[in-house]
Amino acid sequence: MTEDRDHPVDDLAMYALGTLEAPELARLDAHLAACESCARRLADYRGVVGVLPLALSPTPPPAAAWTAIQTAVRSRQRRVGRWRTVFYAARWPAVAAAFIAVVAWNIALQRELNWYARGPQVEALSRRPGRMVILKGVAAPAANARMFIAADGGHGHMAITGLTRLPKGRTYQVWFIRVQGQPIVGGAFDVDARGRAWVSIEPPANLDDLRAVIVTDEPIQGNTAPTGATLLDGRL
Amino acid sequence: MGKAAAGDIPADPDLVRRMRQGDESALEMLYARYGGLVYSLALRIVGDPELAREVLQDTFLRSWNGRATYDPERGRVAGWLMGIARNGAVDLLRSRPHQARLRERERLTMDVPAVEKDTAEVFGLRRDVMNALHALPTPQREAIELAYYSGMTQTEIAHALKEPLGTVKSRMREALDRIRGLLAPAVERDVEADNSRD
Repeated sequence: MTEDRDHPVDDLAMYALGTLEAPELARLDAHLAACESCARRLADYRGVVGVLPLALSPTPPPAAAWTAIQTAVRSRQRRVGRWRTVFYAARWPAVAAAFIAVVAWNIALQRELNWYARGPQVEALSRRPGRMVILKGVAAPAANARMFIAADGGHGHMAITGLTRLPKGRTYQVWFIRVQGQPIVGGAFDVDARGRAWVSIEPPANLDDLRAVIVTDEPIQGNTAPTGATLLDGRL
Repeated sequence: MGKAAAGDIPADPDLVRRMRQGDESALEMLYARYGGLVYSLALRIVGDPELAREVLQDTFLRSWNGRATYDPERGRVAGWLMGIARNGAVDLLRSRPHQARLRERERLTMDVPAVEKDTAEVFGLRRDVMNALHALPTPQREAIELAYYSGMTQTEIAHALKEPLGTVKSRMREALDRIRGLLAPAVERDVEADNSRD
């Protein structure tokens, strides 16, 4: 397959190497969803890119690194165990009926809380391994965002600039786009008069199930899937 | 760290299967096998030992948290780990001011001897990857290394190489096609070796 308008193979190589910029990424994603041959080619390129670092000579890691990993793994195992106990105790049929009301309430509450950094979360993030994700403006070219999330999921914050204040009845929503399955709501916010926001994010525990984080403009009561244009886009 | 019994060297996919069952010793073995390489990769990209350690810890923690999502159809375990590491390192690099990044890169002149022992399988694949890269024409190898290790976008790479963007894109694609062709026998050999263990 050679480069042509219908099969942008040069862009596939850049995609696999992680060097494509946001607008081209979005166009190529749309193409890949419909073109099996390009999707297979991309998978081949990813396989090649995945083994490139094997050409490096291994360097002994710092001795304390494994201890830190082991401690974090065991700490997370204990937290997951506690939440599982709470969930199984609350399996009531009424939970399904209350879900829609909770989503709407949560949207309103997050907008109230988003202006304040929660003390315990800030302390937790300052000590745990974390990840920085850069979001670039797509439908809002002047917008930028940086998201910082704990590597083991559960907590995060996002700083946003360059968006416009929304009219009454609308809200910005953060979405985590999964590799497979429905997107997950990560938070909701509005910006100040200068187009800025500081948002508390609730990412899923398993970050490796995710491929992107986006921001869209939605009705105030929230949605269970994005309906507005992608204003900001960051790859995970 | 604990050592595997003589004659009992689990394959990478077996380790991930054990991790899914909550076996922390499998994560420990994966770390022993690839920790040095992940750290080297992180060090090469971020250029600072402390930041590289953050990336190393983040990578293995994320591999543990995401162990259910590893799909053998999408590539080798080593590639999965390197992908997590590279994404984390590039995110870190892109989050810092450009000048600070340049200063950190200039500091990286260390020549630390390698002490990790590869399994025979990893050693063979490493040799094949090194040979494939050395077989590339210099402009293709430089372009690939800049793309993979620098965290630059395609526009920044074209600017750094003083070449048109279209030329850079074609060069990258030709390089990946060439490496793919050179590594194909090695990949088939490793797929057969993995399948024979199942």
